[in-house]
Amino acid sequence: MKSTLALTIALAALAAAPLSGGVQAASFEGKTITIVVGFKAGGGYDRTARILARHIPKYLPGTPNVIVQNMPGANSITAANHVYNIAKPDGLTIGTFNRNLVLAQLTNVRGVKFDQTKFAWIGSAASESTVLAIRNDLPYKTFDDLKKSGKTLVIGATGPGANTYDFPLLLKELLGVDLKIVSGYSSSSDIMLAIERKEVDARAGSFTSLRPFIDRNLVHPVIRARATEAGIEQLPVDENLASTPRAKAIMALRSAPEVVGRPYVMAPGTSDDIVRVMREAFSKAINDPELVAEAKKGKMDLEYMPGDEALKIVKDVLSQPKDVVDDFRKYIKFGE
Amino acid sequence: MIDALLEGLFLVLQWKAFAFMLLGIGLGFWVGLLPGLGGVTTLALMLPFIYAMKPVEGFAFLLGMHSVVATTGDITSVLFGIPGEGTTAATILDGHAMAKKGEAGRALGAVLASSLVGALVGALALALAVPIVRPLVLAFGSPELFMIAIVGIAFIASLSAQGGRGMLRGFLAGGLGLLVATVGQDPQAGIARYTFDSLYLWGGLDLVPVLIGIFAIPEIIDLVVRGTSIAGDLPKGRLNQGALEGVKDTFRHFWLTIRCSLIGTFIGIMPGLGGAVAQWLAYGHAAQSARSAEERQGFGKGDVRGVLGPGAANNSKEGGALIPTVAFGVPGSSSMAILLGGFFLLGLVPGPDMLTAHLTVTFSMVWTIVLANIITVVVCFLFLNHLARLTVVRGHFLIPVILVLVFIGSYTSNNHYGDVVLMLFFGAVGYLMVAGGWPRAPFVLGLVLGKIVENNLYISVARYETAWLTRPIVLVLMALAVAVVLYPLLQARRSRSRRAEHG
Repeated sequence: MKSTLALTIALAALAAAPLSGGVQAASFEGKTITIVVGFKAGGGYDRTARILARHIPKYLPGTPNVIVQNMPGANSITAANHVYNIAKPDGLTIGTFNRNLVLAQLTNVRGVKFDQTKFAWIGSAASESTVLAIRNDLPYKTFDDLKKSGKTLVIGATGPGANTYDFPLLLKELLGVDLKIVSGYSSSSDIMLAIERKEVDARAGSFTSLRPFIDRNLVHPVIRARATEAGIEQLPVDENLASTPRAKAIMALRSAPEVVGRPYVMAPGTSDDIVRVMREAFSKAINDPELVAEAKKGKMDLEYMPGDEALKIVKDVLSQPKDVVDDFRKYIKFGE
Repeated sequence: MIDALLEGLFLVLQWKAFAFMLLGIGLGFWVGLLPGLGGVTTLALMLPFIYAMKPVEGFAFLLGMHSVVATTGDITSVLFGIPGEGTTAATILDGHAMAKKGEAGRALGAVLASSLVGALVGALALALAVPIVRPLVLAFGSPELFMIAIVGIAFIASLSAQGGRGMLRGFLAGGLGLLVATVGQDPQAGIARYTFDSLYLWGGLDLVPVLIGIFAIPEIIDLVVRGTSIAGDLPKGRLNQGALEGVKDTFRHFWLTIRCSLIGTFIGIMPGLGGAVAQWLAYGHAAQSARSAEERQGFGKGDVRGVLGPGAANNSKEGGALIPTVAFGVPGSSSMAILLGGFFLLGLVPGPDMLTAHLTVTFSMVWTIVLANIITVVVCFLFLNHLARLTVVRGHFLIPVILVLVFIGSYTSNNHYGDVVLMLFFGAVGYLMVAGGWPRAPFVLGLVLGKIVENNLYISVARYETAWLTRPIVLVLMALAVAVVLYPLLQARRSRSRRAEHG
């Protein structure tokens, strides 16, 4: 009885094997692809995944269904663990998670059960640049004015691990700018309100999220991190102002993941065929005129970065010498 | 301005916008009824559908849906003791107690009528606030928000049983709630608190599984043990006449309903306080309206005022929450954050322009809230007596359905098994609290306010050191907090001396 059962299972496994293997995988006909998002519905990661889910099917062989599943938790470590350990390498599960997870791995955050270099990288759907924006009614026009003023600037922040906190922290610690960081605001829009009522003078954040307020002449950006976008190329870059190579390395490390702003990966061991097909589909979908029009309306700026380039950046971050990493950990904590 | 007001109405009444609004109402109706499936998630899911719509149509659709969720969420709370939404839990205390007394119809009538009043007050506030909204919102900084939360905590005094022992238990339960709110990574130093190395606990506790556990599980156990229907074996005749009685209750306690609506609107206007706070403050205020110690003891056991207050506040807060969203581009609640995404999709930039150049659109939102609520409440009244009859169905038939809703409802908050474990854990806590005579409302109040208290206190001290303590609004709120704590004590003494006179 027991042996027949085992036999049946073995036979079933054999029958199923060719389907999940690489040979026929290039067609997704009748299948459903799930994009696992490491955050709740409604945020930037989620909105990007949803717009892709609508436009990607037509560029995939067999025009499969593409759905989005939110798997929030531990700042998206949960979702990355799921894609790494549980999802099958059949191309039917795509993961998108916090761009800073590579830093979580670098700093050995507890609970990380993945190796970023082993994911099958599809690429990144956008680059997110961080800027520091200050109130327009303050007398400082540029970063230089600010440094020379000799006055303390009050920065509103959400908390350690977010770019609202980490970016100004490094400006303060490594460039010696006189900043007072007040953290605990529940969201970046709450900081915006604190700026309106002059409780704080400035905030750091992604250029995308600050743009409506820059357009409204409430704040203006004075310094940015490495990743750039149209409109802020001319701003000074934090790491270029560093006086020591060590300071430069730490700032570079913090901003490295921003170039891979919206990472998209599949389970390790996914066949090259599937990876190639998927990369091609992402590249075409992100340049699809309909998607571009929709993204523009939603104030999203999507730009495809191929998987091998993204992987190169990830490997770069993870191959930093130990002393740089140790220094980095003194300042930066992975968190929300 | 009157022109814009009328023009806004006509915009909503165009057949296309109106049809989209009805569609939204239909969706919101179900989303509200089902526990766990929240209005926030649904808004996010519906967002992509508005690409092809005009601004007025898009908002009629989204807001129509959104305005209804709070109303129908209260229905689930009253009938089954399960919060239909995270923001409708306060209605359970007295609403479900009424259902158990066989007054489900009356409770539903009261909750719907007060919801309607609340929505109208909220919408009116939105319309009237247009000229003064910016200075009003800007007057409340982190120190003021902290003090509002303290006033909220002071309400524990009126949510606890009388006497020293009752007060002690109330404030201890509140303290436990504050402690539970600290679970997760702290926003100042990034330290993980009470997470026991679990990734699930890292982000803090989700309100929905906790609320479902603490309120629904004790009710289910109670239903199993009694082996009867929710309304026990009371004569069935009373159920059907109840709804109208509930409406009359709303007008009997009209000023209370209005005051609670104003509380809801105010909480809605303040960004960062969150929707769950509004109902609990309103409940605390309603409990305060008891004229004597004896009356106060009736709260939690089926006093209709405990239904009217939260019912009104829950709907009025939505109109309020739209104010900062529209005027500053800063959302007043998580649903508003998603709605903000909708603004961009529709090509509108929220901010001062919405109060000048796009004023008609803003007013069309006001009208959508008003119309959606009127339609929902009228439709609900048609079903009301049928819904109320669910409380005379035998428990054996109901329990499996309720259990499924309870499990799915908690699981949907993170799609993680941890949600279910959390719900069961707080189910046990809730059961023990009920069995031991500890009040649950102060616990939830502490939980809901915990993060607000902690963060705003930190920001106030970090930014202003001690100077914030002398800000005028802070002082006023401080006096208010003291008054709120002392009021029930004074009242108890007065009723005692009165009794002494008579005795």
